[in-house]
Amino acid sequence: MNFSRPFISLATGLALATSVFSQGLDPAHLLNPSKDSWPGYHGDYSGMRHSPLTQITPENVGQLSLAWAYQTGQVTNLKATPLLVNGILYFTSPDNVWAVDARSGHQLWHYSYPANKGFHIGHRGVSMYGDWLFYTTPDAHLLALNAKDGTVRWNVTLADSHKGYWSTMSPLVIGNHVLVGVSGDFDNLSGFLRSIDPETGKTQWQWNSVPPAGTPDSTTGGMTWMTGTYDPDSKLLYWGTGNPTPVLTGKPRPGDNLYTCSIVALNPDTGKLVWSFQPSPHDTHDWDAVETPVLYDGEFSGQPRKLLMQASRNGYFFVLDRTTGKSLLTKPFGPVNWAKGVDKDGRPIPNPDKEPTPDGRLIAPDEGGLTNYRAPSFDPKTGLFLVSAKPSYSIYFSKPADGAYGWSGADYSVWSKSVLEAIDYKTGNIRWEHELGPGGAGAGVLTTESGITFTGDAHGNALAIDTATGKTLWHTGTGTNIQSSPITYELDGRQYVLIGSGGVLYAFSLPENAVPKTSATDQ
Amino acid sequence: MISLSYQSLSRFALVLSFASPCLLGQSAGTPPQTTNLTVQTPSVPRQASKANTGANTETYPPELVKNGQATFGQNCGFCHGKDAGGGESGPDLTRSQLVSEDVKGNKIGDIVRNGRPEKGMPRFNLPEMDLAAVVAFIHDQKTKAENQKGGRRGVDVADLQTGNLEAGKKYFAANCASCHSPEGDLKGIASRFQGLKLEQRFLYPRDAEGKVTVTLPSGKQFTGKLAYKDEFVIGLKDNYGWYQSWPISTVKFNVDDPAEAHHTLLTKYSDDDIHNLMAFLQTLK
Repeated sequence: MNFSRPFISLATGLALATSVFSQGLDPAHLLNPSKDSWPGYHGDYSGMRHSPLTQITPENVGQLSLAWAYQTGQVTNLKATPLLVNGILYFTSPDNVWAVDARSGHQLWHYSYPANKGFHIGHRGVSMYGDWLFYTTPDAHLLALNAKDGTVRWNVTLADSHKGYWSTMSPLVIGNHVLVGVSGDFDNLSGFLRSIDPETGKTQWQWNSVPPAGTPDSTTGGMTWMTGTYDPDSKLLYWGTGNPTPVLTGKPRPGDNLYTCSIVALNPDTGKLVWSFQPSPHDTHDWDAVETPVLYDGEFSGQPRKLLMQASRNGYFFVLDRTTGKSLLTKPFGPVNWAKGVDKDGRPIPNPDKEPTPDGRLIAPDEGGLTNYRAPSFDPKTGLFLVSAKPSYSIYFSKPADGAYGWSGADYSVWSKSVLEAIDYKTGNIRWEHELGPGGAGAGVLTTESGITFTGDAHGNALAIDTATGKTLWHTGTGTNIQSSPITYELDGRQYVLIGSGGVLYAFSLPENAVPKTSATDQ
Repeated sequence: MISLSYQSLSRFALVLSFASPCLLGQSAGTPPQTTNLTVQTPSVPRQASKANTGANTETYPPELVKNGQATFGQNCGFCHGKDAGGGESGPDLTRSQLVSEDVKGNKIGDIVRNGRPEKGMPRFNLPEMDLAAVVAFIHDQKTKAENQKGGRRGVDVADLQTGNLEAGKKYFAANCASCHSPEGDLKGIASRFQGLKLEQRFLYPRDAEGKVTVTLPSGKQFTGKLAYKDEFVIGLKDNYGWYQSWPISTVKFNVDDPAEAHHTLLTKYSDDDIHNLMAFLQTLK
């Protein structure tokens, strides 16, 4: 199967709902998204965030200019990836969902969730099935909204926010399953992934990352706070799980702490675990392994392989055979000093001397990690995995007085900078680096078939970079740090690049007179 | 995050300079004073500690504290921890110098409303009532933390006493003495900074100012403090306090970053080196 989209296979074998998808989103569309859509968090199921669009090229990208900007009027930073379905963009912040015309940027509707006491740390976006949008809330509910007007169809509780759960993630829709995860690092809570019926809100199945809280010598944690990926051929979904709790103290939870800091392959119809791989066994540094598990079918060591790649928060780049979960490559993509080496299964071996102590340990990377939730991208033409990295050092402390609940220690970042890394997936070597400035840059990455990489730097510049060489082709100052991942689509023969920065969603395109006129897109 | 002392000092200095027309006039009239502003800041905390007592004796109505807890949890808890004792990326507010200097939100309010983009803290648009409640909650948590018996979360000066003084002295002579002198620039450093703050500062002094010389195509040169640099623009602040910038593509420039040597050491330190160095620097009172 060629994963560089479109997906060839249409035989999903999954039960599709019987409703008529006249104007909404048929889940079959997610298997083969059209150029005038971005129907899921990652665009397609692969997590590559690589677009086939070629109107904007390295030669003409210098002319890229503002098509429109949508002002949310809020101080909250946009961290969401917008959906684009039938010419309408849907995007979010905590307690807010907007529907905006993708051609003009004017608002169609705005939904506000009632005031609540959940964590308002960020929001990644909605997902869609038929006429319905699925939105997770700061107090860990899942809403089904009518995509036509933003009215609530149903509202179900995912977890008890009073215990310390919240949710920020964009659900993954596979057939008639809406897959949702939860967050909750400040309490000893159990993570889970739940499959929900898109029509009724009823639970279809639930996979728990860890044993129930209170199990002796066991761990809690393993939150499922980012969107996974899916391979329709092998019918497996891939999901990353978060750190164990207590976070910075490992003693009360001996062993590897499965399935925290893991990549798991599950059957989407049953939630049964097929395989797992653990990037950070017995983590004591808050390094969730929730970064996108990117799927690609390509050559590895001379053989065609079905691959899964992750640039993990703990500083290692992993390549797995995604049919078995077996490691093919493990290599750091920046400074790391916490492991004694890599074991026979490709897992870093944590150095006990680098667990937090009362007098402190110098650790690379810092708690935010060598990368975090903003999406990476994979460019098949060059074989480059592009990730916004944050080389960093920090000091980690933990003492018995910190107890064994929640955070259980303290850590302080000492130094960091941002670099866009172009990793050769076959070797893990860095082919080029592009400096993005001091501190964290934070923007996600998008690549296009024409050879452009879109991202942002630590100063708030949106950048278009030559994927082959790492050289800057275009930039514009957006006014503040870009905390979201860019997307692209083509409407009426015109390619747009969307970048959310601060509370503003910017749409860039080539000037109208530079684009050949075509008739309206047939929807 | 890091270098709390600096953050609060510089903020305090900023507030001072704008609050007092006299000071403001002074710095405008006699440019070199502006350059000295950061150098003078170490003397500020002693003045500030007067305000400190005022803030700490302040009590807040339980209802306000309770409301503040909810708003804090919702907006601030992720980074600063639900109990304000520190969390992902945000510092322990119960030990923050700025909080100890705050009187009824006169400092905290500023930070909440304006954020600290350079440190990764967003600004928050909270109604005044909510802001007052958040301030009450933070002070209440601080009082609770200070009155808590036995060990508590956070890093105490006593935690950082595991190093060897002699080994630290040797390490200093071999790795630091080319730029620093115990009798010169570091004289009294341990009186100005203690514990975690001292350690953070020697690991990487975030406020160390880089110098830059920009050469125009004509050969004309400008020298000053590095004020801005991204891939496209370089900016400096000259000796008169004026900011000037140029497109990077049109000029040549040379940056002298005194903190770069600290970054290089981060890649080389053993944990013992850090604790030993701490033992030595603590003696420079």
